[in-house]
Amino acid sequence: MSMSNATDSNGTLPRHYLKPCLLLLLAEGPSHGYELLEHVRRMGIKGAEPGGLYRYLRAMEKEEMVSSWWEPSQAGPARRTYVLTEQGRKGLNESVQSLRDVREILVTLLDRFDSLSTKASASRP
Amino acid sequence: MTSSAPKSESLRVLYWRSEILQVVYWLHGEGLGDVVDIDLIRTYLGLDGRVDGRVDAHENLSAYLDVLVADGALVRDGDWYALSERALVDGEAQRATAFTDQVHPVVSECDDQCWCQTSAAEAEACARSRARTGTGKATS
Repeated sequence: MSMSNATDSNGTLPRHYLKPCLLLLLAEGPSHGYELLEHVRRMGIKGAEPGGLYRYLRAMEKEEMVSSWWEPSQAGPARRTYVLTEQGRKGLNESVQSLRDVREILVTLLDRFDSLSTKASASRP
Repeated sequence: MTSSAPKSESLRVLYWRSEILQVVYWLHGEGLGDVVDIDLIRTYLGLDGRVDGRVDAHENLSAYLDVLVADGALVRDGDWYALSERALVDGEAQRATAFTDQVHPVVSECDDQCWCQTSAAEAEACARSRARTGTGKATS
């Protein structure tokens, strides 16, 4: 499933960043489509669009990471309510561990860069 | 999404009816729009620009929409489709989209997304597919 349309506009976020975002949001509590869309945009995925979100939620539901049902409303049409499953919680833990690993790699790179910059500054007359 | 669609036509009609209505109800429920066109449906179902096994559903999508119009679930105005008054009544979303909500592919000898144990017609379609490919694996 292509999620290129769900990454930020300058492409700096990991390709599958939407997945841990959605799993985290649903770990915080049940939610609906538009609410999730607004939250993932606030979490940095500025280009997230409803079609991509819909496909991603359906895919995660087929992977049994998420379950959902139609929730009737007195005030308006029925909405799809999404909740995290136990499988989804495991997926969230794995995704977060992957992100931690990436963070370690990035910190190593940035520390070396900072060290190089410091040396370059010190050697200037 | 269509990689897990049933292979027998009878189940496929039910599957696509449910998938299409699911999108239309979802958009309506989220306040994202009350009318859709075929391109929007393709986008939401992940059918846009695909040239693999999904192509069959891609070509038939307008036929599946016609069925929904004929049975009164959708109304058509040119290129646009909307839920009918009847389809908007309380509880309709749950019933109209129940097929893919309640019937899922089961784990089988074919692959872990195969529908072949859900009905006799599906089992026959799956066996035909496996015989055609000669691999023993269904091409869903």
